[in-house]
This record gives sequence, structure tokens and C-alpha cells, in this order.
Amino acid sequence: MNRQWWELTRLVATREIRDRARAKSFWIASVLLLAAVAAGAVIPALLPGKESTARVGIADGPVATLTRVAQEAGRLTGTRVTVVSLPSVAAAQARLKSGDIAAALIGSREVLVEKQSLSGSSGGSLPGALAQIGGLEKIYAQLPAASAAQLARTGLGLPTRSLTSAGRGLSVRLAGLGTAILIYVIILTYGVRITIGVGEEKASRVVEVLLTTLRPVQLLAGKVIGIGVLALAQIAAMLGTFLILGCALGSPAVHGAAATVVPVGALWLLLGYVFYCTAYAAAGALISRQADAYNASLPLQIPLILAYVLSYTVIYASGVNWFYHVLAFVPFTAPVAMPVLAAVGAAPAWEILTSVAITLAGTVVMARLAATVYERAILRTGARLHLRQVLRTPG
Amino acid sequence: MGEGRVHSPRGALELTGLCRRYGTAVALDELSFTVPPGQVFGFLGPNGAGKTTTMRAIVGVAALDRGTVRWGGEPIGPAARSQIGYMPEERGLYPGMRVAEHLEYLGRLHGLPARRARSAAADWIGRLGLSGRAQSRVESLSLGNQQRVQLAAALVHDPGLLVLDEPFSGLDPVGVDAMSEVLNERARAGVTLLFSSHQLDLVEHLCESVAIIHRGTLVAHGSVADLSLSGRLRVSVRVAGDDAGRWAQTLGGVGTVETVSHGTAVVALAHRDDAQAVLDHARAAGPVEQFGFVRRKLSEVFRDAVGADAPGARPAAAPRPEGADA
Repeated sequence: MNRQWWELTRLVATREIRDRARAKSFWIASVLLLAAVAAGAVIPALLPGKESTARVGIADGPVATLTRVAQEAGRLTGTRVTVVSLPSVAAAQARLKSGDIAAALIGSREVLVEKQSLSGSSGGSLPGALAQIGGLEKIYAQLPAASAAQLARTGLGLPTRSLTSAGRGLSVRLAGLGTAILIYVIILTYGVRITIGVGEEKASRVVEVLLTTLRPVQLLAGKVIGIGVLALAQIAAMLGTFLILGCALGSPAVHGAAATVVPVGALWLLLGYVFYCTAYAAAGALISRQADAYNASLPLQIPLILAYVLSYTVIYASGVNWFYHVLAFVPFTAPVAMPVLAAVGAAPAWEILTSVAITLAGTVVMARLAATVYERAILRTGARLHLRQVLRTPG
Repeated sequence: MGEGRVHSPRGALELTGLCRRYGTAVALDELSFTVPPGQVFGFLGPNGAGKTTTMRAIVGVAALDRGTVRWGGEPIGPAARSQIGYMPEERGLYPGMRVAEHLEYLGRLHGLPARRARSAAADWIGRLGLSGRAQSRVESLSLGNQQRVQLAAALVHDPGLLVLDEPFSGLDPVGVDAMSEVLNERARAGVTLLFSSHQLDLVEHLCESVAIIHRGTLVAHGSVADLSLSGRLRVSVRVAGDDAGRWAQTLGGVGTVETVSHGTAVVALAHRDDAQAVLDHARAAGPVEQFGFVRRKLSEVFRDAVGADAPGARPAAAPRPEGADA
């Protein structure tokens, strides 16, 4: 594979990119996928009860300490706190009355609210949390220096130990399902696109002209690389949209466990495409008319459909059945199954890495097999070929 | 581009002992012939004779069970293949690509730098009367124009060997003239040029040499002029005052009368050197107004060569007399 080999392959890939990028269907699909991803980032941010926002006034005390108390109270109550430093108690009272702030922390003395609710003194509300943490801060300040230092090291609360591992929330599970759907849709869309493209080249006999100067493997590589670059660009655009929107809106979809679902999903999308792309090209080489593209690629779609359908049982069930666990290690189904397992917290890192290794090894085998089928079948015109028939007889 | 000599004329294309089977069907059976450079060379045969298989084997897209293809004395490797212009019988173009972009792409795949590929594409678009169609998608063109684009695609990289499978099929007379002109011009430039066709009159008019194959085997090969005098030699003779050609009834063993029309008898000679004996016999009967060898039309040569498999397999066309009146 010298420089000229790659130059010709690059020309093929560039043509694929230009050809595909010119199609309206590509842009419509891209916009729809981006909209779906944007919705995945935006909707969790808009769901009620997840995280509210509040402005808290501070006055008559050290700003740094009061700010820390206000933010800690916000964290405990799931409230995004904006601290407003005020010059006096009177100013705090005025702001409270105008509704500009939800509560005011007045030094280490008191918490002011406009109107105290029945549960106002409990720790569940923001003013309650402000009162309690403010009180603790007051105690902490009065401790002897040695005790304060020890408390700072060990913390005030008792450690909590659970008897079973923590489950993932439904939002994280749904993020996993969304990722599985995207992987399924993208592999299928680009895979079938490859099958149609190869079928078109074969049916129009342009492949005969191309292969006077190209090796079949160059044409195959150029096609899957070109379409793969488009797929990567689409994945990057989706990932970027998700992260930018999610961060901008403070969506829970980009924090905590959900945030790990996205990169794991992107990794498996890439692995899935690399595993399947050559197989879809081989399927295209078997057909004689473009109309047969969907039928020829159906055997490749079945494992993905199986993993995708079974994903629902994992997302909504309390545990993962052994069959689905096995699917996460089979290269044909792993690109959909493993991200789902990761999303529900049922796949430790070593399992993910093992599955990645198996899929990469499977990709090498698949690429070799697909290249053989492609080389033998791409120039055989006439009726549609069957895989067994091609494997039995060399070109 | 296109007007001058090819950059690297390599010489003759030599096919030696080509064999190819598809299961039990024999596509090529010890097929051998040579295509000299600088000639328009026709490749003929009935449907299924093996023409397309041969052409695909030449350009390297069909495998051979046995045999060699040499161009300029060397086997055709990857470097030589990039100097071949190939036009398959069916389309051979991306339907959705624009004409100029398509030609430029193929030029680049055959090793032209981007700028040269662009100018070569524009050049051939102009020469083949596609100027207004450079930005059209291939699928939007008429079949005739698609065929012109196909020819441009085969020529855009200035190849030294042209292999064209049925380039004239579906062309209107203007298209045929344009295609013929290009082939003649390329042959004059030193290109080795092989094309297949079923239009025998056209081939006869255009080609200097032909090869005729049948069931994968060569059945006739040579210059059109030589082939027209091949087979059983015939003479056409008219004796003054003998409208029924009675003089020929007493020829004996030297020849057989095939037809008599308006006093002109066509006589098939028993041996090629019996012509003088026939002339003597005619002179003895009266003043000889016409005597000449009858050249066979290529269609006749073709039918003789492929027998019952010739399209239509109808009786031979009327012979075309040649030669000065005696």
C-alpha cells in the first residue's frame, strides 16, 4: 500500500463524501438526528423537580463563608443557587418583599424569608437548609482549633454504606436506550447506504471502468472510509450538540452517570460502523439490481434489531438477563447491547474493554471475509448471487 | 489533448490462447489474435460468442483460466492498465454524477493531476458536442448523449489502448459520425484500438482489420480487404449479347455459376487460379464487356464464418462486383 494506493483510495472516498453530502435525504436525516439529540439534552433540563433555581441574599457577615453556606444548602436541596451580596439587612428585606430573592442569610444570626411555609424549618426546603447549615457553621466556628481541624478532616456526617450496589436512575437508563436507538439507526442507515452504493456501481457497470485502474479492495476501502467520514462527522455533530446544549442548560443528561453513557455510546457507534461497513459492502456486491439492496442487507440487520428490541427488557427491568449479557460480547450485537449494559450499570470497565477487544478482532475477520466476497462477486453479473455460492467458487 | 499522438504508444495488443469456462459453458477456447496499433480494429461475433469476456479479460476485470494478454510485448500490469480506455457495453457511469465532474474523476483515477483532468474533461465535452451538458447529471441525458459521455470517459486520460464494447449501439447517424471520427483520429494518433459491434456495414466502412469469433474461437481474422477476397473466389462476367449467361453453362470443372442477373454471371471458381480459364471461356463466347473479382461484403464473410448462428442467418447479400470492364 504505497502513496499512490492511498491517493486513489482517497479519490474514491472523496467522491463518496461529495456524492452523499449533495443528497437532500442526507441533510434531512442529519437535521432529524440532531433534533433528536438536542431533545435528549434539553428535555431532562426542563423536567420539573429535577433542579430548581433560586437567588439567595447574604448580608451582615463574611461574604466567603455566607456564600459557601448558601451554595451547600442549594446542593443539598437540589437548587441552583445564585448568591446576591447585599449591603444591609434592610436591603435584604426590601429584596425579599420585591420577590427578587427567595431567602436571605443574615450573618450567623438568622435566615429571612418573605413568608414561612408550614415545613419551612425542615431541611427539605432551601430556607430550612440555609438555617441548618448556617447553624452548623456557627458551631464549627466556636470549636477549639484542634477539634475544628479534625472535623474538617473527617467531616460531620456518618458514612453511609449500602448492602446492594447503587442502581441507575430511569433518566440514565433512558439515555442508554436513546444511545442504543441512535447506534442502531446510524449503523443501519449508513450500512444500507453502502449496500445501495455498491449495488449501483455494479448494476451500472461503472465498477468495470473503475476496476481497470483500481484494485477491488481500494474501491471497497474508499467507499467505507468516505461514508464512514460522513458518519463520524454526524456523530461528532450530535455529540457536540448534546454536550453544548446540555452544559448550557445545566441538563442532568450531561452530569453524573448519564455523562458516561454518551462517550461509551460514541465509542460503540464507531466500533459498530467499522465492524459492519465492509459486510454491507459485500452484501451490495451480491445483488444485481439496486432494488435488491434492502433484502441483501437484511441478514445484517437482524442481529442489530434483536439487540435493540431486547434493550427494552433491560432498560425497564430491574436486572439484566444472561442472554442479553452474552449479546454484549458478540461482535454482531455488542455495538447496541454493550452501551445499554453500561447505561444500566451492569457492565464494569473490564467487561467493556473485553467486548471492545472481541469486537475489534471480529472486525478484522469480518473485513477479510467481506473483502473476499466483494472481490469475487463485484464483477459477476447476472442473477443475484448467494453468499455460499460466492465462497465456494473463486472469481 | 486528444489531437496529438498518444503519450506512450506501446504497440500491438496480442491475445494468446485465451481460455475461460463458466461451469460447463465455454466462453473462450484458445482464442488468439493480434491488434496492431494505429488501426481501427473491429471485433465481431454473434451474441454470446465471447466478445465481452475477451474485452473484460483485456482490461483485467475478467479472470482467465489460461492464456496471456500482452500489449507492446509486455503483460498488462497495473501501470499499463491505467493507460487503457475502456467502455463497457452497458452504461459504465454513475447516473447521479455531473458530466464534467465524472470525467474529471475518471481522469484523476487514471493518474492525471487535478488541473489536467479538468481541462481534459472540458476538452472532450466540447469535442463530443456536450458543451451545454457539462453540469447535467448523467441520468438526465438522452441515451445517445450518455454514450458520448461514456466515450469521453474512455478517452479523458489519453489512453494508448482503447477497448470499446459496442460503442455504436443506440447512436443516431450524427452520433455514429462523431464516434467514427474520434476512432479514426485516435487510430491515426497511434492508439491501439479494438471495438466490438454488430453493425457490420459500419465496421466494414470504418475498420482496416477485424477479428471474428464464434463460440470463443477465432473463425476469421485479417484486413477487411483481404477478407473480402477470402473463401471461394468469384468473378463476375458479362458477355455482349448473352443476357441469359448461356456461355457459362459450358464452363465444366473450372467454376460454378451462382447467379445471372441482366447478363452478368457470377461464377465461383473451383480454384483461385482458374480465373484466366474462365476469362478465356467467356472470350470464346463473344466480346467480354465486364470481368472482375467479386468482393464479399463483410456481412457475407461474417455469415460464412459463424454459419447458422449469424443474426437472421439469411442468404448471402448480393455480391458486389469489382473490377474494370474488360
